[in-house]
Amino acid sequence: MTRILGIELRRSAALGSALALAVAGTLLLFFAEGIGFSTGWMQLAMTQRLYLAVLWPLALAAGAWQARREHRSNVEELFGSTPRPRAHRIVPTVGAMGVAVVGGYLAMGIAGALWIVSTARYFPAAVLAVTAVGVLALVAAVWVGLAVGRLLPSLVTAPALGIAGLALLLLIPAATRPRGWLALVFSPIYEMNMPDAYATVPGRVSAAQAVWLAALAVAAVLLFASGGRRIRVAALLPLVLGAALAVTVMPHQNRFVTDAIDPVARALVCTDDQPRVCVSRVHSGLLAEVTPKAREALTVLTKLPGGPTEVHEDTTAYPDVYPAWREDVALVSVEAGPDGHVLEPSAIPAEVVFGAFASPPGCEKPAGWPERVAAASWLTGREPVADEMSDPAMLDSAVQLWQSLRQLPEAEAQKRVVALRRAALSCSVDEGLLTGNAR
Amino acid sequence: MMRTVSADETAPTTHPWAVHAQELRVRAGRHLAVDGLDLALGTGVHGLLGPNGAGKTTLMRALATVVKPAGGRLTLLGEAVDGRADLRRVRRGLGYLPQQFGFYPRFTVREFVEYMAWLKEMPKSAVPGAVQRAIDRVGLTAKAGARMKTLSGGMLRRAGIAQAIVNDPAVLLLDEPTVGLDPEQRLDFRELLRDLGVDSCVLVSTHLVEDVVVACTDVVLINEGRLVYQGTPDDLMTQGGQGDAGDSPAERGYSALLRRHRAEAGR
Repeated sequence: MTRILGIELRRSAALGSALALAVAGTLLLFFAEGIGFSTGWMQLAMTQRLYLAVLWPLALAAGAWQARREHRSNVEELFGSTPRPRAHRIVPTVGAMGVAVVGGYLAMGIAGALWIVSTARYFPAAVLAVTAVGVLALVAAVWVGLAVGRLLPSLVTAPALGIAGLALLLLIPAATRPRGWLALVFSPIYEMNMPDAYATVPGRVSAAQAVWLAALAVAAVLLFASGGRRIRVAALLPLVLGAALAVTVMPHQNRFVTDAIDPVARALVCTDDQPRVCVSRVHSGLLAEVTPKAREALTVLTKLPGGPTEVHEDTTAYPDVYPAWREDVALVSVEAGPDGHVLEPSAIPAEVVFGAFASPPGCEKPAGWPERVAAASWLTGREPVADEMSDPAMLDSAVQLWQSLRQLPEAEAQKRVVALRRAALSCSVDEGLLTGNAR
Repeated sequence: MMRTVSADETAPTTHPWAVHAQELRVRAGRHLAVDGLDLALGTGVHGLLGPNGAGKTTLMRALATVVKPAGGRLTLLGEAVDGRADLRRVRRGLGYLPQQFGFYPRFTVREFVEYMAWLKEMPKSAVPGAVQRAIDRVGLTAKAGARMKTLSGGMLRRAGIAQAIVNDPAVLLLDEPTVGLDPEQRLDFRELLRDLGVDSCVLVSTHLVEDVVVACTDVVLINEGRLVYQGTPDDLMTQGGQGDAGDSPAERGYSALLRRHRAEAGR
């Protein structure tokens, strides 16, 4: 059997399929929308899953293509005279195609892994589950392709099946709306787009997806192996059972299954020495890059009496997860760039100082953006710069405020900046506080 | 080359005939292509002759267990072949080269013969030796590593024979094996047939009466699904007279037998 499996691996569509998936997958990973997986292993696993949008239909088509071989090469007569039952005969083919798609998917994963291996640290077990579901999705697809290709042995079956698979993936979310959890049962790509730093896929979600895909794979093999109508009808059984079980296992609240957050990824990892700088565990590989920049800012902040003495990563997560409020902590957002290193490290000091003028959550009178920017710029001695989010009018007003601060005597300016911070902390910022025109 | 011989292989045969058909009826589509055929074949090389449409290929397919008999009795290697029979044991003892030889074009000759050995459920340890021997016997040793799709017509036919004989079948069914062989290869093939017929039942369907006379121990002539004649090649040659069509005594015998059979049927 192993020798025959070896022959099938070499001579069937297996090798070509593996190569097609590996190449297409790697190109998508790096070039489709830029590198979106540089944050870490979970982001890589989820991004791979997203690109099943292309790989899944490809695997369907590859299976259908392979299944045509028997029909095309007219071996039914000869094989019909041999003792080995069809159910045995298909095992090497099914195995070779399965190995091929698994290999292709893992090769794509390795290409991504090489990119982030030096920067990514945190490796939760859920990464393995997300990858395993992706692998299972491709195995199920290539086997469904074999089954359909056998039942409809035509030249157009492979491309038509691929297109149908793509259409199915694209239609599932619309067809199940507003039940996002239901789309998640049947679509391996749903909710995998642009994962946040703390994103995860809950274990029960992966389990439900695995149940459905395994049922699909079993049904496909039954169909491919079947000699008669009775087994073909029997193939419906795993489909129905699998769908029912998967729907039961999947949590039925969208809130739980979509935008799921991994608290361990979000938990802080800090420097051992003072002053403390902390980043989330998922960014722990970036701590060494963030720390000097953050400390640079903390030195600047010593000008503020009672100013922040620690810098933490801002671990706010959509829609309603916030870091604990502390007056002695300045928050800064940390993001990995395409190369896995900190995106714009030079912007960190200004952002940390800006963070020192934050208000507690739920504050109704926080400091405005221009005031905060102007105060921070006065402390750092650098002109306010636009970030991609700020609108030009706000920036203009920030620059004006900054210039008016600079024209003031040092002591007066310092007084106003300190006052702004106090007011921000106590949630009582009045308009004109920086300009001295407080009403 | 040594291999373990299983108890199955050394057990004495308990059946008098390797192939035994009684009143056999087999359909080809709706048409009864084999219609009440009685035939008993033992060890040796049997040449199956008959005009086009006589039912040769349909008979071969029934003996290969690819098509179920529509009626009568068929016994292969002592086991009844009918709708309910478990054919696995019988099939292990079969070798079959269909008229339309289907193969996987991307496989090499050795891979395809090995694949067929696996389909015939040969013991794993015996496969590599048996594959090499089968390829050697048909003279494809130099082409063993070539892809099937690169073979010429004659080579393909020989690869087809190699897969048929790889399991040392007790019943070997070759449907027009000499198509595409050049004269020299046909001589080699006759040699191989004589060799194979020593200890198995070989049934060769062909249009070439000369092949039958030279290489076969027994001649089977069928027409319209029925047995017309069964005898030795020497006896076949005595059947025809000067007035019968043909360039050799055997061909004249063939023509005479058919003519007489048609005359009887017409009466």
